Amino acid sequence: MSDYLLEMTNISKSFSGVQALDCVNFAIKPGKVMCLAGENGCGKSTLVKIISGVYTKDNGEVVFEGNTIHKITPAEATKLGIQVIYQDLSIFPNLTVMENLAINSEISSGKKIVNKKSWEETAKEALAKIGYDIDLHAKMGQLSVADKQLVAICRALLFNAKLIIMDEPTTALTKKEVTALFKTVRQLRDRNIAIMFISHKTEEIFEISDDVCIMRNGKNVFAGPTNELTREDFNYYLTGRKLHNVKFEPKSLSEDPILEVRNLSLKNKYNDINFSLHKGEIFGITGLLGSGRTELALSLFGLEKPQKGEIFLNGKKVKINSPIVAQKLRIGYVPEDRLTEGLCLQQPISDNITLSSLKRLSWAPGMIRQSDIMRDAKIWVEKLSIATDNPNNNASTLSGGNQQKIVLSKWLSNDLDLLILNGPTVGVDVGAKQDIYDLIQDLAHQGLAVIIISDDLAEVATNCNRVLVMKDGLIVSKMHGNEITEHKIQEVIS
Amino acid sequence: MNKATLKRMVGKTEFYIFLVLIIMIVTIQIASGGQLLQAGTVVTILRSMVVNGMFALCALVVMISGGFDLSFPAIAALSYSLSTTICENMGWCEKNAWAGFIMAILIGWILGMLNGWIISNYKLNTMIVTLGTSTFFTGISMGLLELKEITSTLPKSFRSLGESCLFEVYDSAGIRSTMTSMFIFFVILLLITSFVLNRTMFGRALYAIGGNEVSAERAGYNVKRTKFLLYSIVGATSGLIGMIRVCMARQSIPKAMVGIEMTIIPAVILGGASIFGGEGSVFGTITAIGIITVISNSMLLVGIDTYWQDFFNGLIILIGITVSAIQAMRRKR
Repeated sequence: MSDYLLEMTNISKSFSGVQALDCVNFAIKPGKVMCLAGENGCGKSTLVKIISGVYTKDNGEVVFEGNTIHKITPAEATKLGIQVIYQDLSIFPNLTVMENLAINSEISSGKKIVNKKSWEETAKEALAKIGYDIDLHAKMGQLSVADKQLVAICRALLFNAKLIIMDEPTTALTKKEVTALFKTVRQLRDRNIAIMFISHKTEEIFEISDDVCIMRNGKNVFAGPTNELTREDFNYYLTGRKLHNVKFEPKSLSEDPILEVRNLSLKNKYNDINFSLHKGEIFGITGLLGSGRTELALSLFGLEKPQKGEIFLNGKKVKINSPIVAQKLRIGYVPEDRLTEGLCLQQPISDNITLSSLKRLSWAPGMIRQSDIMRDAKIWVEKLSIATDNPNNNASTLSGGNQQKIVLSKWLSNDLDLLILNGPTVGVDVGAKQDIYDLIQDLAHQGLAVIIISDDLAEVATNCNRVLVMKDGLIVSKMHGNEITEHKIQEVIS
Repeated sequence: MNKATLKRMVGKTEFYIFLVLIIMIVTIQIASGGQLLQAGTVVTILRSMVVNGMFALCALVVMISGGFDLSFPAIAALSYSLSTTICENMGWCEKNAWAGFIMAILIGWILGMLNGWIISNYKLNTMIVTLGTSTFFTGISMGLLELKEITSTLPKSFRSLGESCLFEVYDSAGIRSTMTSMFIFFVILLLITSFVLNRTMFGRALYAIGGNEVSAERAGYNVKRTKFLLYSIVGATSGLIGMIRVCMARQSIPKAMVGIEMTIIPAVILGGASIFGGEGSVFGTITAIGIITVISNSMLLVGIDTYWQDFFNGLIILIGITVSAIQAMRRKR
């Protein structure tokens, strides 16, 4: 039994009546990387804070290195060898690397006077732990995120850490930096340090972790070796629903195409593009970065002028010279990230929904009635089935998926025929992703024509009834119906 | 000094501020026909730096911790007004000034503790809190206690302390300029502040809290206690500075300090302190106060109307604050 470094059994914690943790079990062995996974608000951080001594558990037992721990302060947790590297890294951007490295141990040594020499020695000792080299006198704020993270790791190692908890460490890192970080993590693991890795990114979890513990709504729903899980199981445990990979089947196709593109070309971007689109379809455009997919979409919205070719809308030839023209032609474009960034969370749902249609709602120039806002908001809440009983509540009270619906409603409120979505689920939780897919498919069934531009092949394969694969500005493949699979697109792309 | 240290030094705001001061001194020296760098003028300028400089050090430490203290003039005013009024009524401090000083420091300390208590317990915006307490303290002084101006009846020991000097110089026309002994307080406070900021864990705590309060708490600093201590110490020091001013001016006027924070705080920012906290140094602050003082004292030397004084002060402050804000914005990116 005692081959566990930390063992937590039946941990419960509630905040003013809300059960944040409900009989959670968690155990980790030295020299292992254990992932703690879960969607936002599932109790991950509460559990971490109980381990690190910030919160006190209501019930349950914590055993660290064979000793039962009843109550612990953050300082005592540090002494035991528990170190948390928070998502914000807890660094001081205004101080030097040296000071950042040494400050924690200098404080815990209880000294009152600063001895620069001892600070420097401490800092050097810290860097030596993972053989990392950096200018000690550089300002912390000027380092890259990856360097900051390494400094934070070195600082944690100063305390003879036995357990290092990393809270979403990869959020702000590039792919290359993530690889470097994982190398360091493995290095630490090989030194018999236990690493608790908190994340919600599926791919990373499968890459780095030996074991995984999945939490949902304050309970743990799975604990065991990572390789016993399939990705589908993982997503199920994470979200609590079978993510139905229901393939999109168009139900209400219009007879005539709403959009027709003929021989569209833009030098060095895309060449000789032909396709047509009916109402009720979801049309995917995919390809690697630089394949011309984004430029093509921008041309349809009037942001990049094509040099040759014709665009027909509802059978009429049109020239889309600017986004204003595009909007008049009832085309909507949602750029990348807009889905995650387009909200004022601390403001009412109703205000968020009507934010971009205030002009339409005004009864006299510059004047608006609160009742009109409310009426309009209620229409959209119903139309997109946003889960709220009162549009006056703040947007922050909604789940991720419902928040995305609000963002979409802003675009849809201008009565569209064609909606172009660029990277609709970049940076979105697994569960919220599913919500967005459901929403897009619903919209298509209601008769909207949708174009999805994405490099997430699974996304394209599930949601599109037709796909255009682009490479170096050319269409290399057109697929439709059941022949669209992730695997097949992958083959064509590379 | 190696190359890296030199490079770091040149990259700092303090370096440029110092350069500005030097260039300004040289320019004024030439424009005024050599009148600036005369013993008499230099002594006068140093004299007028005493009170502003000490206040600036108070503002600096608060700003490093990420806060703003707008109440130090009000604290100083209430402290010295109350202290001198009591001394006058009781007939104290005719021979020895210490009772008056201790009283002012104690009053300042208590008022500072009120600031500290509110700020550390209720995580409120420090600017709003001190704006509130500032008005409150002025209200106590003017309304509740109805403290009056004390001029000719000021206890003698204060008067003689203000008149005492370290040395005196005569310029070519035979006009006497004296260096007040209050200058010693300025030098001592300067040294203490510098030591505390750089060499004590308390000082480093101020930088850490100003840089990232949450991290400071996680790192093991007692943020609440540190802030409480900071504001009470600043309060006590403001009381002391107030008494120094009374001695130097040889009068106690409850409203004499009103608005002085509007010159001091921008000067501290000009000296390289960040409005977002975590940055600032004694050297930069004193240099900036030097710039402001040199400007206001040498307008007449150069033959510029004193109306322009505010114009130039304002201009320099605006430039300083803009540079500071731009730097902070770049850092955030």
